[in-house]
Amino acid sequence: MKKGFIRYSLAMMALAGLLSGCAQGNGQSSEGANNTSGAKTEGTSQAGGEGTVKIAVAGPMTGDNSEYGIGFTNAAKLMADQWNAQGGVLGKQIEIVPYDDKNTSEEATTIAQKIVSDGDISGVIGHFSSGVCMTAAPIYQENKIIEISPSASHPDYSKIGNYIFRNNTVISKEGAASVDIAVHDLKKKNIGIISIMTDWGTNTSGIIKDLITGLNDPNVKVVAHEEVMEGSDDYTPAITKLNEAGADVVICCGMYNLVAPVAKQYKNINPDISIVGFSNAYSQQLIQLGGQAVEGVCFPVIFFSESDDTDVKAYVDEYKKVYGNSPSALTSQAYDSVGILLTAMKEAGTTDSEKVRDKLNEITYKGVTGNIKFDEQGDVDKQFNKVTIKDGKFVKMN
Amino acid sequence: MIAQQIFNGLALGMGYALIAVGYSLVFGILRLVNFSHGSVYAFGAQMAMVFIGLRFGVIPGLIASMVLTGVLGVAIDKLALEPLRKKKSIPIASLITTIGISNIVTNLLIVAFGSEKRAFPPLFDFGTLQIGKIVVSSTQIGMFVVSLILMLLLVGIVFYTKIGLAMRAAEQNPKAANLMGINVNFVISFTFFLSGISASIAGSLVGSYYQIVYPNMGFMAGLKAFAAAVLGGIGSLPGAIIGGLIVGVSESMAATVLGSTYRDSMAFIILIIVLIVRPNGLFGKKGITKV
Amino acid sequence: MTNTRMEKHSFLYQFESFISKNQKLLLILLAAFLCLLPKGVNNQYFLTVIVKMAVYAMFGLGLNILTGYTGLVSLGHAGFVAIGAYTASLCAVKLGLSFFPSMLLGMVAAGLVGILLGLPTLRLTGTYLSIVTLGFGEIIKMIAMNWSPVTNGTLGVKNIPKPAVFGMKLTIANHGLYYLVIIILVVCTVFCLLLVKSKTGRALQAIKGDELASVMMGINVTYYKILAFVLSACICAAAGALYATLIGYVDPNTFNFDVSTLILSIVILGGMGTIRGMFLGASILIALPEASRFLMVYRFVLYGVILVVMMRFRPQGILGWKSQLPYKLSRQVMERLKMEETEEAGDNG
Repeated sequence: MKKGFIRYSLAMMALAGLLSGCAQGNGQSSEGANNTSGAKTEGTSQAGGEGTVKIAVAGPMTGDNSEYGIGFTNAAKLMADQWNAQGGVLGKQIEIVPYDDKNTSEEATTIAQKIVSDGDISGVIGHFSSGVCMTAAPIYQENKIIEISPSASHPDYSKIGNYIFRNNTVISKEGAASVDIAVHDLKKKNIGIISIMTDWGTNTSGIIKDLITGLNDPNVKVVAHEEVMEGSDDYTPAITKLNEAGADVVICCGMYNLVAPVAKQYKNINPDISIVGFSNAYSQQLIQLGGQAVEGVCFPVIFFSESDDTDVKAYVDEYKKVYGNSPSALTSQAYDSVGILLTAMKEAGTTDSEKVRDKLNEITYKGVTGNIKFDEQGDVDKQFNKVTIKDGKFVKMN
Repeated sequence: MIAQQIFNGLALGMGYALIAVGYSLVFGILRLVNFSHGSVYAFGAQMAMVFIGLRFGVIPGLIASMVLTGVLGVAIDKLALEPLRKKKSIPIASLITTIGISNIVTNLLIVAFGSEKRAFPPLFDFGTLQIGKIVVSSTQIGMFVVSLILMLLLVGIVFYTKIGLAMRAAEQNPKAANLMGINVNFVISFTFFLSGISASIAGSLVGSYYQIVYPNMGFMAGLKAFAAAVLGGIGSLPGAIIGGLIVGVSESMAATVLGSTYRDSMAFIILIIVLIVRPNGLFGKKGITKV
Repeated sequence: MTNTRMEKHSFLYQFESFISKNQKLLLILLAAFLCLLPKGVNNQYFLTVIVKMAVYAMFGLGLNILTGYTGLVSLGHAGFVAIGAYTASLCAVKLGLSFFPSMLLGMVAAGLVGILLGLPTLRLTGTYLSIVTLGFGEIIKMIAMNWSPVTNGTLGVKNIPKPAVFGMKLTIANHGLYYLVIIILVVCTVFCLLLVKSKTGRALQAIKGDELASVMMGINVTYYKILAFVLSACICAAAGALYATLIGYVDPNTFNFDVSTLILSIVILGGMGTIRGMFLGASILIALPEASRFLMVYRFVLYGVILVVMMRFRPQGILGWKSQLPYKLSRQVMERLKMEETEEAGDNG
């Protein structure tokens, strides 16, 4: 009898709870959304009052592209250490919190939600590939958290919102620089394109084609375009086709891990071929992997580690000392991204996202990857250096 | 150009065949699809890179890698699979276990070496050879010859030695083999050792062919080699070789005719067609029902 | 046999009997808990993980029909998920259809492909069937990648709209998406429960038990195997549509072999041929990688260790022993049996 009573009352309570829960759920849901985002902004501004300023680095820490995520984290920590040595920002120490997105959209949405929910993150450096950035960015925008991607290059990325920045040039500008090298510096007419089958590769190769058509030069033309799969190391069928189409220069839309094997396999077939890449091929590993074959490969870069600039030298030496290898272009852009974010916080005198965002739009930051000035879109415009490989070293082109 | 592509495909196919042999050896005796084999192959390649880098010379480096990879194979069996056999658990539990092991091995490799691609020294660097219109590199010939020798050795071990006899007995009926005084667990461990060694050789050869190694190299190659093994009839050594060659050539042809983006699924398309016509593969035996 | 098994799992057995005794109450409590959960923890990340678990539990339920009840092991279920996700999101983005018709179209598409894939199973068994499904998954990925005019190729489908009910957008932030996923999951679960208890469900389990005997019993094995494929594909496609709208972006690499093995691991880990096991499996395999984020680079090492250790100590899956209990007859049947028994006893007397 007693048992029955307890059971009955429990059930009634549960039912009541259920009804009220559902009713509230319907009535308040849209309002609730506003409240949560409001609470979040308060949360971020309040973070200034506590012990540390937390900056998230989101990128692939495990899996295929983990070298980049780990590179971003390393660079960010280096910058944070330098600030911390001088007393941090706003009188507080800076803490870099790494988040692993495995370079997949699924993990990226999850960790974006996590960063948003944690509430004490003052800014996000990251997400590696454009596609992943573009899945996570709306979540940051909705919750007014600043995201600066050191690597996203898709034109639409920074259009997602006014909290979304990138410290990387839009791919169309970089593409123009690559085409310029192929057509004007190397004076080649028959262009072959080999691109990796990812969103970045497909996008970039499309832009390159448009740029070449846009040159309006009847002599310069794309003779062939071949797409190759990530993760298969045999590019000979594609190369054979490009060669038979009569390409005298190949624009290679891929990272160092595509450029090096393509150069090797292409030079087995045609030793006279010229190869032009992009700034994400700029990595010491390109020379390690490619050896003799990458001699003469050209590409535009923003960051040049052999530069004579004293700041760059100091940074490269420090990075080598701490991590044992020299920083790649993307890693250095992550380094500068943390720098500009912290500078904006310092000048704004707060970590409140809205004020920091306004400052970010105003300031010009002199970093190792050149002067950074965000335009109204949140993009940067930087000068490209043209670099080639000579005797196993990166040198500037004349 | 077509002839050249067929030849390239054959070299590629030999690589798949070497990996496929590892699947077949284990499947033959345990009726188990060893999904960790792809990661063991990547492990072998990485180890070869490390040991050759230590400047003991190429051959000792390769041997060290082979032994270590073989030991890894045995360790996988002893630590993870043997307890499951003792429990007489459902076969699919072993399959999930091998998927778990593959995760462990690949991710530990990434932790140790990073995910980046690394340079692997060319093992047979004697330039190229021109036969008519076909350009053949010494690496391709080396790959072909070594694979062939290795296959013959394996066939020799399985068919003409005592342990090979024990392997075949255990394959036919483990219980009966045990009653005849064969230490079946030892035979199984030996099989894993052999499959580890063949994976290490495959890793070194393919690594030196492209001069690239990285922790995830075993993923797609492993799946395709598995397809090759099934294509030839899983459990059959000649089947694995023929299957590997078919997959290699068809992949190379697909990349040439259809475009490189179709190459990865070519192995599976051919596999499905073959299986619809011959449900047990080209050289498969009938009556294999377990997973 | 069954008795020793129950003694072995005496704790679990007591737990089970407790659950079956208080089934209704527990269900109400569970419903209340699920309804109130978003109010209690107003944390978007937490809700996202819960929704992810629910979606993966649906994947598990789908594959369970095929692997758990019919005994056909599929290594390519990400293919069906991809078909559902792609069809639904393309209908929503390109044709401007709302969520539910898009999801239904996705299910239909996956069901049709399920028939196509089911046909070769008439001849294939064991490993050979598994490898065909593996190939199927890879081929679907290739189609998604190369059929650019429709699927957008590697660029994927972006900005997949969130479902809307009466003009209100359902998102994680306003908890709408959470309730939607839970409701669809409940519908899906009820469907599976009814299926298992139905004639069809018994036929599928008979095929798993012994295919030859089933033929002798007059079960149309061909028909039921293909039916299992179709049902399994439909459920996974529905979950795939939810997944797409949850993430807001799909591309060919979203649905790779890892997803297929994850779904299979959920089914095996939870316990083949159980419904509750799917929830358990999904919870463990989604929650643990999330909970172990602090391990950073070792995170997926741990994931592998979990699979190995779980299989080492519970090769049947956590609830796997349940599927080996004798088939529970329905109440009506039991009553009739009792009546017959008493009648017989009466006759004898």
